[in-house]
Amino acid sequence: MTAELITEAGAAPEAPARGRQVRRRLYADRMAMAGLVIAVVMVVAALAAPLLVHLEGQDATTYHPELLDSARGGVPRGSFGGAGGAHWLGVEPTTGRDLFARALGGARISFLVAFGTLIVQILLGVGIGLAAGLGGKVADAFLGRLIDLAISFPQLIFAIALLAIVPGTFPRPILLMMVIGLFGWGGTARLVRGQVLSLRTRDYVSAARLSGASRTRIALREILPGISAPLVTYAALLLPNNMISEAGLSFLGIGVRPPASSWGQMLSTATTWFQADPTYVLVPGLLLLVNVLAFTVLADGLRTALDPKAPSLRGGRR
Amino acid sequence: MRTSPALLATAALLAAATAACSSDGSSSSSSGSAAFDPKTCQGGTLYVLNQSDATSHHLDPARIYTSGGGSVTSLIFRTLTTRHRVPGQAGDQVVPDLATDTGKASDGAKTWTYHLKDGLKFDDGTPITSKDIKWGVERAFAPELPGGIPYLRDWLAGGTDYTGPYKGKELDSIQTPDDKTIVFKLRKPEGDFPYVATATQFAPVPKAKDNGTGYEKHPVASGPYKVQSHEQDKSLVLVRNPYWSRTVDDQRLACPDRVEGTYGLNAAVINQRLSASAGKDANAITVDTDLSPAELARISTDPNLKKRAVKGEFGETDYIAFNTKVKPFDDARVRQAIAYAIGRQSVVNAVGGSSLAKAATTFLPDQAAFGYQPYDYFPAGPNGNAAKAKELLAQAGHPNGLTITLAHRNADYNHDGPAVATAVQASLKQAGITVKLKPYDDAGYGDTIQKPSTEPGIFLATWGADWPTGGPFLAPIFDGRQILKEGGNFNASQLNDPKINAEFDAINKITDPVQARPRWGALDATIGKQALNVPLIHPIYIRLTGKNVKNAYLDQWRGSYDPAMVSVK
Repeated sequence: MTAELITEAGAAPEAPARGRQVRRRLYADRMAMAGLVIAVVMVVAALAAPLLVHLEGQDATTYHPELLDSARGGVPRGSFGGAGGAHWLGVEPTTGRDLFARALGGARISFLVAFGTLIVQILLGVGIGLAAGLGGKVADAFLGRLIDLAISFPQLIFAIALLAIVPGTFPRPILLMMVIGLFGWGGTARLVRGQVLSLRTRDYVSAARLSGASRTRIALREILPGISAPLVTYAALLLPNNMISEAGLSFLGIGVRPPASSWGQMLSTATTWFQADPTYVLVPGLLLLVNVLAFTVLADGLRTALDPKAPSLRGGRR
Repeated sequence: MRTSPALLATAALLAAATAACSSDGSSSSSSGSAAFDPKTCQGGTLYVLNQSDATSHHLDPARIYTSGGGSVTSLIFRTLTTRHRVPGQAGDQVVPDLATDTGKASDGAKTWTYHLKDGLKFDDGTPITSKDIKWGVERAFAPELPGGIPYLRDWLAGGTDYTGPYKGKELDSIQTPDDKTIVFKLRKPEGDFPYVATATQFAPVPKAKDNGTGYEKHPVASGPYKVQSHEQDKSLVLVRNPYWSRTVDDQRLACPDRVEGTYGLNAAVINQRLSASAGKDANAITVDTDLSPAELARISTDPNLKKRAVKGEFGETDYIAFNTKVKPFDDARVRQAIAYAIGRQSVVNAVGGSSLAKAATTFLPDQAAFGYQPYDYFPAGPNGNAAKAKELLAQAGHPNGLTITLAHRNADYNHDGPAVATAVQASLKQAGITVKLKPYDDAGYGDTIQKPSTEPGIFLATWGADWPTGGPFLAPIFDGRQILKEGGNFNASQLNDPKINAEFDAINKITDPVQARPRWGALDATIGKQALNVPLIHPIYIRLTGKNVKNAYLDQWRGSYDPAMVSVK
């Protein structure tokens, strides 16, 4: 997966695309704008979750047994899983907890872990990539192999193993960020290393070196701006992948612990209810789908805006 | 992969959808619905679809802990006595199996004598003798074969110091004056001894074929079927035991020629397969899975489904246990406050709703066989009485509420997992009690809660009837002499009241179970006043059969249908 993402991110452009040009191209791309709008709405909803839930007048942990048909297994009364004025997205079977509140709680976890993981991946990836690209032969050889190792690690299995042995008192979202990030920085590092290796032979970089700039200064002032475009695109694609990873781990039961809700965990319990209460599956399922789709489309739009010559994820003419 | 994030999510959703959809395409193959006739029912293969291994993982009769000989295990192992396999209340009775009667009591029920029937043989043709039964009971004491019922060590004279026969030592309290007679000498009177003799520990084991821990790979059968193969937690295949017949066994019909068990299946999938009854699933049953929500929703409107569902109750109580040696649970008012605060409706919903569980306010199950006497000393109503709970807490010196940690299993199949724990947490919150949840690994939970030194202050527990009388339901839980420091302790509250202990002894002298019933009920009501635990629910079993399965009547003892009595022809 990561290897293909790197080629999609495109080669370093001849010169950094100008901000206004990028923005204009982006605004003209309707799909990307749709993705951007949805993404922004989701993030805002997640940030404003406590306010929104307060507006609804519910909370994510109170049980409402009176809203359930106990004789039929605890399925919510009413159609669409009990959706209505009091509970905007219905209630959860067997508990009666408000689904809107739980779904928003899930959104918070999803974004928190996805963005947090992204930070870990960028920090580690850029740091190690820069060190490998700018360092001497020995450093590059060692770090290069380290990057290869990080990419080829069986992510999921090690994530599961690590999550299973850490004691329950350690805050789960932070643990998830660390674990997914720890096994996901390889792609970023390889991308950065590749870009740095090609950039360091450029005239302006040699000029900076000759004028006595330190390696750090070269890294920050000359190299980073040059790799910002492919890095931003790559990061934008990493985000939905992180969301899927978190959802997948929560689905397997090793993500956040109850009563905290996560979309993946909601999906896991909801599959048994597909026939009796489809709303319970559709709420986290559609939210996850729409979210990931929005960010993916946005990332593709960004990449095309930054480098129109690069092949689009969506294929065909733009 | 490339564009996958979005596609992956869609694909996953679709996969879940199709997996959850039942694939019944109006399969109305006439199942030759001739009435069931035991004389012509032989033939076919019975399939058992389970979430967990029906032999409690180990196929060694010394290690199996089940009630009345078990569902599937009773197909392989015959015991001295067994449960009465007839529909109705008579199903609670104990009847002879290998023995000629349910035992002769003498010496005030301290000695029990059994004679074996004629013509009994193992699956290799060797005759079954009383020495084989003695060997079977003795080896249950061996430390390398842990597990099984907790009564042998306490009941048999000399049991507490006995460590099994593998070093050459015999248990002298089991006597075999001849090949057909076996005599048990007990430490004190036990009127319920015929019931304990239904346990698989009383199945005969030939000493010549016993290789200790390896025996479970090829256990020798005394019942209608022998083991062809067993893959722990995966599958079990049974074929007919040629040396068994109905002439030597008047309790089992054993109609199918072959039994194939598949374990580790998902509960929803089991119900979908039984409900759709396509192909081989038409000959399938389950012995551990109740209806899933999808089937519960359809059962009242679909008469075909309703016909194939058997509803019953096994004597079981799921409850909150207290360790009274840990603060603040040493204070009765705190325990009473928790009893008042519990909203049982949420707990009932957590385990599947009112079709699959009912609220329990007594420790004994609400069935006549246990001598059930209704009581509700801390009336909480369906949603808890938070006001009364707060009042009691204030009296106990906690006017601003309390914070406690509730231990529970990290799986839901046994009704002591996260679903029930979260429901308890939500109820107690309304009474100002903040509950932190502490999940324990499924494999280690039993060991942790059954040892007084590691026992948490408050935890979820379940207790089932080893046989349908009040004795085994109350004694391991409330008899002070049953507190076991090394493990296998079920007296969580560590109650040791000489008056209550004496009452246990007095009732154990009664050999007529019907006479003992009111005494057990009264004892439960007396102990209940102390709020030593908080009963939550009694489960109800509703289990489906495939559409070809016949004679699946309710077995009163076990609460569901009996694999030894069903047929697929």
